[in-house]
Amino acid sequence: MEIKHTALAGTLESSDVQITLSEGKGISIDLDSQVEKQFGKQIKKVVTDLLAKYEINNVKVHVVDKGALDCTIKARLIAAIQRATDTQNEQNWGVLE
Amino acid sequence: MDTIKIDLNDPYYYQQWQKLIENEGLYIENLDDITETIGIYDEDKLIATGSYFNNVLKYLAIDPEYQGGNVFNKLVSYLISDLASQNIFHVFVFTKTQYQSSFEYLGFKLVAKSSFSTLLETGDYSITQYISELPKVSGNNISAIVMNANPFTLGHRYLIEEASKKSDVVYVFVVSQNASLFKTSERIELVKAGTKDLNNVVVVAGGDYMVSFVTFPSYFIKSRSDVVTYQTELDAQVFKRIAEALNITKRFVGEEPYSPTTEIYNQSLKKILIPEVVLEVLKRKEIGGDIISATKVRQAISKENLEAIRKYVPETTFDFIKTNLKDLLRRINNGN
Repeated sequence: MEIKHTALAGTLESSDVQITLSEGKGISIDLDSQVEKQFGKQIKKVVTDLLAKYEINNVKVHVVDKGALDCTIKARLIAAIQRATDTQNEQNWGVLE
Repeated sequence: MDTIKIDLNDPYYYQQWQKLIENEGLYIENLDDITETIGIYDEDKLIATGSYFNNVLKYLAIDPEYQGGNVFNKLVSYLISDLASQNIFHVFVFTKTQYQSSFEYLGFKLVAKSSFSTLLETGDYSITQYISELPKVSGNNISAIVMNANPFTLGHRYLIEEASKKSDVVYVFVVSQNASLFKTSERIELVKAGTKDLNNVVVVAGGDYMVSFVTFPSYFIKSRSDVVTYQTELDAQVFKRIAEALNITKRFVGEEPYSPTTEIYNQSLKKILIPEVVLEVLKRKEIGGDIISATKVRQAISKENLEAIRKYVPETTFDFIKTNLKDLLRRINNGN
């Protein structure tokens, strides 16, 4: 899928994550997290795996993590993807495990 | 805790807001420079507030009892989401230097800092991206001019020509400001058209980074007499960052005999740009003792005096004005 325009999901409150997706060439992830040293790799893996399921190959991702669990990151990223691709009304059940 | 939008025209909210803002040492400048204001309440007590104007966050204040916790994150998060719902994703904040790290924790990145304040940004665009998209040139002697060109006159043409003679390459940054009579895209096109024959001149959009210094908010500067210095210093720091990336070592400005504010600005700019960038002041072009200015052109437009306009502008600008005269007059009448 193609990113049609910038979209944002999530908040900056504790245990949440704010994800901004915008048009880009290839996949680039900019991660801000106080737990980047411990969980940076894991957070990026969650993001890249989910982008792969949606077949998004060109996107700029800005992740501001406030200690979110993987399930929260997934939920916020799905919301951001749906907004950025204008597919809010077309649930892609296949990507959910 | 509830987060709501508050209406500052309502005296009930205004009084609470004013008290919180002033207790936090902020100075209320002008309510016209606020698009939206939000408040966080604990029961019926206003404990935090923040506003924005276009894509700039402003007037952020938190009651001391609630500082250092989640309230700051909640406040900034709410403002960013609210802007996002209006499709505004590139957000700036001007703040005191001691709050730089608080914003960095929320994903903001530094644009520039001065001894008074810090400018940060977040979202889907950045100064790094702006710089990477600018055309790169080579040469030992690269210079720059920043202009509004509202519209492009023979005076601007003269400045660019002089700079062009003294440099290998000249970057002309056209300030983005849609409040001008001529739209940003029109101003850029007219500068390009009027300098086509000068092959060492590169005309680029100033974007969000070559803004007019007067647009910087200064509500958090205690001493009002420091405001101009603060604005100039931050402006100069942003310019230096761009200059460094493009190997610009000189900036040309026009002499300002009629505008004391701009003269002060030029003077302080000179001090701050050194040693990386040298500021050179060029004399203004005169026609029979009459200094050319864009203001005079705009006045002549409002009087539909095409002959007066012809004296001040190159053929390219004149043709544009002539073709679009009706539209320009409409804009003037609508308050632009």
